[in-house]
Amino acid sequence: MPVYTKKAPWQRRDNGLTARIIVSFAVLTILYLIFLSVLAYVGFGAIPIAVIAGAMILAQWYFSDRIVLWSTGAKIVSREQFPELHDLVERIVARNNLPKPRIAVVNTKIPNAFATGKTPKSSIVAVTMGLMDQLDTEELEGVVAHELAHIKNRDVLVLTMASLFSTIAWYMMRFGMYGGMRGHGRSRDSGGAMALMLIVAIVTWFASFLIIRAISRYREFVADREGALITGKPAKLAGALLKISGTMKRMPTKDLREVEGMNAFFIIPALSGDAFASLFSTHPPVDKRVKKLMEMEAAMS
Amino acid sequence: MFSISSSHVTLEVKLGLKVSGRCALAFKTVSGTFFYEMEQDVRRFLGSLQPEFDLAFRTITDSYGYMWIVFESKRIEDLLAGLTATGDIVAEKGFSDQLLAAVFEFANERQGGHQYLIYNYRRNNFYPFVPAGSKSRDTEQEMKMMAAAGEEMPFEKDMALWYPLWDLPLRSLG
Repeated sequence: MPVYTKKAPWQRRDNGLTARIIVSFAVLTILYLIFLSVLAYVGFGAIPIAVIAGAMILAQWYFSDRIVLWSTGAKIVSREQFPELHDLVERIVARNNLPKPRIAVVNTKIPNAFATGKTPKSSIVAVTMGLMDQLDTEELEGVVAHELAHIKNRDVLVLTMASLFSTIAWYMMRFGMYGGMRGHGRSRDSGGAMALMLIVAIVTWFASFLIIRAISRYREFVADREGALITGKPAKLAGALLKISGTMKRMPTKDLREVEGMNAFFIIPALSGDAFASLFSTHPPVDKRVKKLMEMEAAMS
Repeated sequence: MFSISSSHVTLEVKLGLKVSGRCALAFKTVSGTFFYEMEQDVRRFLGSLQPEFDLAFRTITDSYGYMWIVFESKRIEDLLAGLTATGDIVAEKGFSDQLLAAVFEFANERQGGHQYLIYNYRRNNFYPFVPAGSKSRDTEQEMKMMAAAGEEMPFEKDMALWYPLWDLPLRSLG
């Protein structure tokens, strides 16, 4: 049972926080599948294994926020430590009648934010030091509102439920195969059967991993939209996304007349050779998100 | 380029951007008889329009060595006709590679200030430019222009190619 909490970074390239969260949960998942396989191998029946698997899924869900905080190095901060950040979050939740989340800070210069938590009341919004440095107040509000939208939509639960399906799929395959093998004779080397079972488990997990990524990308658009509605300023969230992704830094400042001779315009822009990467990514490409936000902005103005 | 004759309405409705009545064509000057003849042709042509069309023009050569023909008219149709006809003359005389950009000026009725759509002759598409003080730009406002009109006209999607044109000579030298 993989993934976990939702979200974290925004973009495709800097995936530091996401990577750490994913690795943590992937290791847990593999351990968990091995554990279930061993249980099945030593003779536990279908029903006890279902009970154990269910208990483990609940445990992972229950501890998901602690795992996320631990794997990202985020620390819960008090109002005394970060009064402005607390004020900013309180302004948004008060205006929108949302419960105030706990606030965490990650001490890194990479601009990023994420939310986690099992229920809206016990949730945590984490931002990095780099995010607070680089964004202005309205942009930071946009990002926090986006995270609050994830919390409001219970995206952690949605993704936990999604990953539950992968466990069920594994479970059915495992016992389907076990039953099938019996019929064909037991002379088959049991080590080989175990290896095959693990391969099937891994393939199942990988397929569910891709599906969860797809769901996650979709939830991202939803959170952008709702976050923008919360602040009423889609353009600010779009601006924040461009800053976080580094696009803003790439906005040219050199005069057209200076670059004209450099054939800059004949260079074919890198076609998105990212189709493969985007399959794995938890977040849709920044330009698509910015485009949708700016369409909202245009519709609102 | 003619798409601007319809999309300016969208920009006005959505963002309060009104055509200011000014646009300009920029092309790189070179020395030589042929270029001089082309320049004379352009002046003759624009002079011949004067009585019938509501279209004033002036020329400026900037420090980069670009000649700017700045048009003024109350009607966007006349601005566009004068500008594209001039571009055609430049191209017909063999100087199409010298054509750099066409610039359309808008006045922001809600926030004040001027915003521009730049037509890049190399890419055959438009991009926004909103100068904000010296050598800085209002990217948010630029993105709003793309969001409002980007679907209605050939638009440069790659923001890395939104090269600014600092110190546009559209208003100076009145």
